[in-house]
Amino acid sequence: MSLLGPIPLAIWAWIAFGAAALAIGAYVIKMRRRRFEVPFSTLWKRVLEQKDANSLWKQLKRLMSLLLILGILAIVLIAALDPTLGAVDRKARSVVVLFDASASMKAMDGDEAGKQSRLDAAKQRTKALIDSMGGGDLAMIMKVDGQATPMSRFTSDGPVLNKVVDGITASDTPADLTRALGAAADALRDRPNPLIVVVSDGAFPEAQLGLVSWDAGKPVPATDPSAKATSAEWNAKNLAAIDLSNVDVRYLPVGRRSDNVGIVAFNVRRYIANKAAYEVYIEVQNFGQEPAHRQLALYNGDTAVDVKRIDLAPGQRIKQIYAKLPGSADNKLRASLRPLEGAGGSDSFALDDQAFALLPARKKQKVLMVTEDNLFLEGALLVYDNVDPTKVTPAEYTARPTVADGMDVVIFDEFTPDVMPPAPASLLFFHPTGPNSPFKERGNLAFPRITEIDEGHPVMRWVTLSDVYMDKSAVFAPDPKKGESTIAYSVRDPIIVAKRDGRRKVLAFGFSLPSEGRDAGTDLPMRVAFPMLLVNTLDWFAGDQTDLLTTYSTGTRERVPLDGVVGATEAEVKGPDGSLTKTPIIDGLATFYGARVGYYDVTAKDAKGNPMAQIELAANLASPAESDIAPSTELTLGGQQLEPPEAFAITRSKKLWIYLVLLAMALIVMEWVTYHRRITV
Amino acid sequence: MAPAASASLSSIKKSAVARDNRVADRSELFDERFLKTLEHLHMVSRKVFAGNIRAERRTRKVGSGIEFADHRTYSRGDDFRYIDWNLYGRLDKMLLRLFEEEEDLYIYILVDVSDSMAIGSPLPKLHYAMQVAAALTYVGLANLDRVAIIPFADRIIDRLPPSRGKNRIHRVFEFLRSCDLGGKTELAGCMKDFVAQNKRRGLAVVISDFYDPEGFEQGINTLRYNKFEPFVLQVYDKREAEPQLHGDLALVDCETGDTREVTVSKSLLEQYTKAHEAYCKELEAYCTKYALPFFRTHTSIPFDQLVLKIFRSGGFLR
Repeated sequence: MSLLGPIPLAIWAWIAFGAAALAIGAYVIKMRRRRFEVPFSTLWKRVLEQKDANSLWKQLKRLMSLLLILGILAIVLIAALDPTLGAVDRKARSVVVLFDASASMKAMDGDEAGKQSRLDAAKQRTKALIDSMGGGDLAMIMKVDGQATPMSRFTSDGPVLNKVVDGITASDTPADLTRALGAAADALRDRPNPLIVVVSDGAFPEAQLGLVSWDAGKPVPATDPSAKATSAEWNAKNLAAIDLSNVDVRYLPVGRRSDNVGIVAFNVRRYIANKAAYEVYIEVQNFGQEPAHRQLALYNGDTAVDVKRIDLAPGQRIKQIYAKLPGSADNKLRASLRPLEGAGGSDSFALDDQAFALLPARKKQKVLMVTEDNLFLEGALLVYDNVDPTKVTPAEYTARPTVADGMDVVIFDEFTPDVMPPAPASLLFFHPTGPNSPFKERGNLAFPRITEIDEGHPVMRWVTLSDVYMDKSAVFAPDPKKGESTIAYSVRDPIIVAKRDGRRKVLAFGFSLPSEGRDAGTDLPMRVAFPMLLVNTLDWFAGDQTDLLTTYSTGTRERVPLDGVVGATEAEVKGPDGSLTKTPIIDGLATFYGARVGYYDVTAKDAKGNPMAQIELAANLASPAESDIAPSTELTLGGQQLEPPEAFAITRSKKLWIYLVLLAMALIVMEWVTYHRRITV
Repeated sequence: MAPAASASLSSIKKSAVARDNRVADRSELFDERFLKTLEHLHMVSRKVFAGNIRAERRTRKVGSGIEFADHRTYSRGDDFRYIDWNLYGRLDKMLLRLFEEEEDLYIYILVDVSDSMAIGSPLPKLHYAMQVAAALTYVGLANLDRVAIIPFADRIIDRLPPSRGKNRIHRVFEFLRSCDLGGKTELAGCMKDFVAQNKRRGLAVVISDFYDPEGFEQGINTLRYNKFEPFVLQVYDKREAEPQLHGDLALVDCETGDTREVTVSKSLLEQYTKAHEAYCKELEAYCTKYALPFFRTHTSIPFDQLVLKIFRSGGFLR
């Protein structure tokens, strides 16, 4: 018999002592009795005297009652220690079943007829494995997809484990074997006869299969200069590797077929110059051993943009680019592969036959220019078809500041107003001055030259300002504590600065644009960089990022920007199936994890529940390793080929707690009956 | 006094007070209906015992009657007229003829008003005993006997002097309504006092539960030895004979305050019932042994039925 309970013996002893003291105390403390008046106690005295002749027996019965209660207590406390008969059998094993529930397990090749999925076949094999376990063997089921999720604790209860296995569903993500092996090795640490059984089709990336260490070797000492390189190499490899020393790892393969053609890449982007148009990139690969024929269709919403037949040789990957596609109201794109009738048309894995993408949102901005006639500024804006410009003079704005109401962007050219436009309109200043300047000025600079720019800032993307001429410029004193940052320096003097003020964004140039009657001069408007600078600025104001990706792979954790989020710490993610989950927002970036293929909607809300920022995302399998559904009958992990699991040795084990609890319950019932029948009192 | 005993006694007092409220209220005990029942009983008694001589009861006292009772040896000073000369002729002994003296019968109704008589549900034994006492008194008064009522507990509590004629019944009711109650049962002492206070012998009807820790024998013997004719009427409550108790209890004697902790089981209850029955049988055996009229009744039996039973069995009326 062994005691495997989680309660330390010292605590158990205290509990036992306390419980026994309570029980004895309950017997010692005199019970307060109900008073009852009798007319003639002499009669009772006679009866009791007669009964008291057996007082020794009476006391003995009371003692027996106490002993019975103490016995019940002892039984319950022993049961709490989870005693087990036969668990010390050296052949008993601790097993973690790594159950592959990745996307490839959805392949319909669990049986010859193609009516059963790999997942179902894996469940059958796992249950057979569980059923073959001995009484002393303990097993834990761990689901492996993009994450490693323990589905049960270590138990020898076969029906419970089978129920857990039955409840597993496959996700749309690739499997992360490394993470799962690490979790299994941690779970098996200090357990006797550890065993990991990988139930899978073997569709793992090569990189994951190598991150395993079978021997707990020591790092090579770095004292010897000649061994330094070896030591560094050893450490780099082994610190990332999963330590499986002394762990027996077995592989239980499932799957039969390999014929699959899948979309392995699908993305879309708008043209920078013409955001109304976009181009699409698709990669399709034949993972089968036979030539395949498919119909590839591209849809924009429900409208078919292109449908074509593609023929793929075994293993061939083709790339399709659809250029200069005209935009439409619907920003959802979908690529679809349909098997053609005849030879090479079969496909047992449907998940990668569809892929989804989203065009970045596009919005026409209302721009108000507050300027005297400035041909450079107006001309630059007119070439950008994504804006709706309006112009007023500074005098008109001063007379009627409400003209800026409802504007997305207001540009002040050589003018700093007393009354700022209402938020969230973003503001662009050229040479702001005076007390109302959005940025504090600390002087002026003659003939400055832009020597450094913040290349990471969206405004400075693809822009070169290194030899721009300016005859003078204001120098700002941005305060980083207020979120103000410098995006262009003249040596160490900030001359272009930006900031976020809640949902409003503000950008200021320290210099003026050339105009009639203005003594300031710069050649910036004559450069290619100027319209690009304006477009970048307007895109930044609008929250558009030309290089923003809206299409991700399932099973990967990405951080996506949520423009204009202030104060929110978490966003709501609506999945393809309509499910709602929460995800944290850190520094304006929301964490996104797609477990299913399809469209997602990430929304940040303010305290009142009103949407603050929202972004649509698409998730695709996009994993050649998962789409390559050819089952691996053999799996090599860290250079060691895994064997199928052997039959479990027959071990005996009886968990005694249930019997002890039943015994305690029987004794309690007996005590109750004997007490109420006045046998033990 | 020990604090525990003091607490016990105080709780007993409290319970006695609580009980008094119920028991002391005797205003409804003798109402018009009760009186009618008594009249009915009287009529029935006349019918049942027709032919008996009213108010001319033969007593054991020998004296100037006409019916021969016994002989005794002549002693100096005896009336020569009563010497049995025939016997003297045959036996050569001077024997005197004795005759039963005919006189008014004295009936003493001794009612136990101790605390134990206050127990009973729905009717306390005391009320039942008083109704029976009133009924017997009424019949006695109507028969022109001299009837006295003496309530007792640990002493003779009060006394309604002997009176005759049924017009006295309202005085009896008033007395029974207003007499003091409570105390321990001490039969021996009370009977001793009774015989000392009442020199005229007669019928002594003792209505009690006879729950005297010292026993009932001495009290009844005192009556017997002093030439009274004891008439024993035991009243009990069914629930005290067969109590419906269960569990752990502290049994408190309502008279003495003695407390006894007991766990009442079915077997214990059976033993108690047997013990109670044995006690009653003991009393009955005693009465049978000495040819004393004995009646045992519980409070569930209507009092008029009991009285009729007494009449039918004889002993009270002759």
